[in-house]
Amino acid sequence: MAPVSERSDGLRTHGASWLVQGLLWGATAAAGALGAIGAQGGEILRLAISVVGAFILGVGAGFASWWFTRYVIDGSEVRISSGVLTKKSRRIPYERLQSVDIVEPLLARLLGLAELRIEVAGGSDSKASLRFLKLEDAKELRTTLLERAQRVDATAGDDSLLVGDNLVGEPVDAEVIARVPPEQIMIGTLLSLDFVLAVVLAVALLVSALWFEFFIAAVGGIIPVVGALVQIIGKRVIAQWGFTLTRTDQGLRIRRGLLSRTSQTVPFDRVQGVSIKEPFVWRRFGWQRLEVDIAGYASDNDSTRSESSSILLPIADAALAQHVLEQLIPGIAADLPEALRPPRESRLFAPIGWKFRAVAAGPKVFVARSGWIQRTTDIVPHHKTQSVSLAQGPLQRRLGLATIEVHTPKGPVNARGKNLEAAPARLMVFDQLQRARAARALGR
Amino acid sequence: MLPRLGTVNELFAPPGANWQHVSTRLCDVRRVMIVGLCATVAVAAVLVVLFFSRSWWLAALIVMWVAAIGAWGWFWAAANQQSWGYAENGEDLVVTSGVMFKRLVAVPYGRMQFVDVSAGPLHRAYGIASVTLHTASTETAATIPGLAAAEATRLRNRLTELGEAHGAGI
Repeated sequence: MAPVSERSDGLRTHGASWLVQGLLWGATAAAGALGAIGAQGGEILRLAISVVGAFILGVGAGFASWWFTRYVIDGSEVRISSGVLTKKSRRIPYERLQSVDIVEPLLARLLGLAELRIEVAGGSDSKASLRFLKLEDAKELRTTLLERAQRVDATAGDDSLLVGDNLVGEPVDAEVIARVPPEQIMIGTLLSLDFVLAVVLAVALLVSALWFEFFIAAVGGIIPVVGALVQIIGKRVIAQWGFTLTRTDQGLRIRRGLLSRTSQTVPFDRVQGVSIKEPFVWRRFGWQRLEVDIAGYASDNDSTRSESSSILLPIADAALAQHVLEQLIPGIAADLPEALRPPRESRLFAPIGWKFRAVAAGPKVFVARSGWIQRTTDIVPHHKTQSVSLAQGPLQRRLGLATIEVHTPKGPVNARGKNLEAAPARLMVFDQLQRARAARALGR
Repeated sequence: MLPRLGTVNELFAPPGANWQHVSTRLCDVRRVMIVGLCATVAVAAVLVVLFFSRSWWLAALIVMWVAAIGAWGWFWAAANQQSWGYAENGEDLVVTSGVMFKRLVAVPYGRMQFVDVSAGPLHRAYGIASVTLHTASTETAATIPGLAAAEATRLRNRLTELGEAHGAGI
């Protein structure tokens, strides 16, 4: 099956897709039925019938959704039509495309299938996905989409160039920038404060339960703590396993995952901002985590997934992190002029934190730093400035302070200078607008 | 060293021209809503109190409380209406608002994704509407309430036009 078609009636996804989707939905439905009926304490036969019935319904839904889903990829856009009763058709023009990810959920991966996820900037439901394609087809399609998106950007929507388009597979010049070994990810997780806190809490609960012979009450406390631990491990270790960052023509490519594998491509010009996080213990070792703001990522309904997909580098030393940033935003490392720091009066708002806050604007980027437990450095390229605001509350007014903020799409980056001296803060707002304008005019 | 800004108005002054203000009918609409709400709450509370206990002093106390809140709302409506201002500069739209908590937001035209005009039934009766600018960031939150209907339409068309002219994608 050729993945790219110019036919108008469209293609179905891979023939085994409905099986994977059906099994997933069937299992979910069966588990739901088991929970609902099991809680009532019904008889075994009734339980079995409802669980099997729910499973069959789930599989049927999977088949129906596969049967009625078709996709078309042509010179100017991707169209996906779906829906059994209510028909839905989504059109994605290439210039709106933010990123293309390939996700291999465990079940699909066993069958050699992958989901192609196309992210566009938009509201709450801003992604379109093709479930499932053969892995090679998905890769080929991703390359095609990214190339076309790039070309549309370059030629401002001139379709004639697409005639005789030749399709290449994996780009040959993929250069590995960073490889994060699983041991480092595990050590990093073990040394992060929230993980240590959760472990301490779990142990304390367990010990007190044994000591006071107080099981029922303690179990109620242990379950959420263990749940949090499992989530931390899933998000930071299993999802980031075998993390590899490569540079391709179309952007930085991230490959990661132990059970379900994900391959994300972040086009260079779609990065809205970067955040450098230095957690408390990590700082002693000089380690950092990089998170990235891509329009559309954070509006993913699944918050765990959106959190792990905005990680650009799970753990690295400062030199490597700087190297990666330089790849993503050239000129990011340029010397920053004198930073604007909050004056002493602002210690009323943050008795310790005020000393660690600063904002500065370099030739390419706006930088805001804050935090004394976890130090956060938020970086916004000038040409990605969405809007700028200045705010002042009654108490700030008495102290002559004001807060400035450079707005970015929803995500990990929050570039904010809190409680700065009012007059320079105002100046910075209008200077930032000037810088953003100049950078936009330059196109980068 | 920069000169320290003396007054608040200077800090939140527009960069170029003067602020354009929103219609005083915004104040009227809000007063109608406040008075209506307060009257409803007062009547309901008094009825409930008298039905259960016949303690006139409690009913009077409630009415006084609600009247005090209503009076505060009466003055708030005027102050808030006066605090709104917007300026269309060459390259960006600047919006300011707030009496106690002041805010100024500047949105480059090229960053605008879309513009909304909305008006509730009461707003329509008074002939006003609000215009909201959306960028790719939800934090922008640049809403201008209480524009005269014609001005709202003009502003929307103007902004859409400017957005297309300056458009810079995301």
